[in-house]
Amino acid sequence: MKKILLIEDDLALSLLYEEELKNEGYTMVVAHDADSALELVQKEEFDLIITDIRMPGKDGIELIANVMGLRKDIPIIINTAYQSYKDDFMTWAADAYVIKSSSLEELKAKIKELIGS
Amino acid sequence: MIERYSLQPNNFNPDTPKEFVLLSIIAQSFFQPFSLEDNLLVILTALTAGSGIGFNRAMLFLKDGMRLKATTWLGPRSPEEAEAIWTMLSSPGIGYAEIVAYNRDLVTRMVKDVQPKLKHFIYDLEDQSLPLPALAALNKEIILVNEAGKEPAVDPNFMNFIQVDSFLCLPLVAQDEVLGEIVVDKGITHAPIDLNDIELARLCALLAGNYIYTTNLYKKVVEMEKMAALGEMAAFVSHQLRNPIVAIGGFTQQMLASPCQPDRCRRNLNIIQEQVKHLEDIIYKLSHFLKITIRELQPVDVKPILLNLVERPDIKLKAARKAISLKLAPELPLIQCDPVYFEEAVVNLLDNALDFTPEGGKVYLRARPYNNKYVLIIIKDSGPGLDEKSQDKMFTPFYTTKENGIGLGLLFVKRIIDTCDGKLEVQSKPGRGTMFKLYFKVRERGQS
Repeated sequence: MKKILLIEDDLALSLLYEEELKNEGYTMVVAHDADSALELVQKEEFDLIITDIRMPGKDGIELIANVMGLRKDIPIIINTAYQSYKDDFMTWAADAYVIKSSSLEELKAKIKELIGS
Repeated sequence: MIERYSLQPNNFNPDTPKEFVLLSIIAQSFFQPFSLEDNLLVILTALTAGSGIGFNRAMLFLKDGMRLKATTWLGPRSPEEAEAIWTMLSSPGIGYAEIVAYNRDLVTRMVKDVQPKLKHFIYDLEDQSLPLPALAALNKEIILVNEAGKEPAVDPNFMNFIQVDSFLCLPLVAQDEVLGEIVVDKGITHAPIDLNDIELARLCALLAGNYIYTTNLYKKVVEMEKMAALGEMAAFVSHQLRNPIVAIGGFTQQMLASPCQPDRCRRNLNIIQEQVKHLEDIIYKLSHFLKITIRELQPVDVKPILLNLVERPDIKLKAARKAISLKLAPELPLIQCDPVYFEEAVVNLLDNALDFTPEGGKVYLRARPYNNKYVLIIIKDSGPGLDEKSQDKMFTPFYTTKENGIGLGLLFVKRIIDTCDGKLEVQSKPGRGTMFKLYFKVRERGQS
């Protein structure tokens, strides 16, 4: 089973993503901030990272930079409410950029595209 | 040895050439806040004042869309009045302010007689067969008209109105853009218009053109800033609303997609209810934030407010198992603010301080006079403190490190302090707590 690390500070949203993606057959690990996500990346193997950008403390962009320093091979999906971060060149380092929506279809499709089901 | 002179042209000696006096008076407009009308009227006055530059009357046209519209006509009605204006202008101590006051008075008087007639002089700048005086603006050239009655290019209506033989048309142009036109004549002295007159008038027209251009630009910038702020606000708000909406939509879909277990259904409905509450909270706080308007600053005695505040039940509840150390200077002058907003600002910070202070920790609230000019309020917590990055972001709308925060509290405080003309300082270091210093201006004596 493919293992996904989700970083999302909003508790309701992280629960929603966790359940929905588990339903798709993925193993889910959830972190609510960048620092604890980085600790997890150092300890465990992941097939994919899905991260929010705007979070208290370190933001998603800084997290991506740090993850790339540790593990270049993990695909990353940015999942944010902001269209505007697309202009930040650091977000280009991610493999996909998905705008948050109550329909998770786009996110699920991107995951499938990157790591299969 | 050094000599000092004021930047603003002022007192002239009696032998200063009249041209210098007039141009200096016009130049004073550069020191005034943007009041296009007043500045243009000063130029018209300089052009038309008796023995000044030597013209007697001036008509101002301004461009409105693609049309050139007569907006003001200024001039003395008799040689005596012309001379009186010049005497006033050249008397010592007369400057921009006096001329502006005089002009306002004059225009008010003239509005009744002349202004209604001006509305007939509207010229379409897209019309290639424009008559004079508008032709000058269209061609962007200064045109001197002599023997006007015999000149077929002159608009007969205009001729009827000004009733003179000679007039000079000065287009107002800046950055190659036509912005208006001034038409001047010597309808009272009937002296000929010579090259010297044209040189001076050209300078005045250049200045007038630039005034209009700068004012337009200034208006545009203000408008753009407003739009930018609105855009930023809209982006922040939509993001803030998106998280709860995505959660509501997502959990609803979950329930609709498959037969719902009663437990799961109940849990989802609870989450949805919470998110709706969160949305309501955002909307409430946002509208509260947008409503801050302090119409009039009042004298505020901060002491009873602060003493009362620490006794408020909501604060006491939060301060359970924590301590508030309150110290107020024995003498605290009245400040200039609004009592309700002052209290809200302090409560907001105190509330934050209590949130970030761990159990057993202390929150400090201090008030003392500062520099005779301010009352300084200090609110300090024993919380984790903030790194530089968080400090940079702390006044960003909707930025929050609190679990149920909206991220408007500090912005709210800042806005209140700005409105009361005060200052806000933050000092914070990781591990050493955060300290807010609020400087409120002391009410000056004699102020109500």
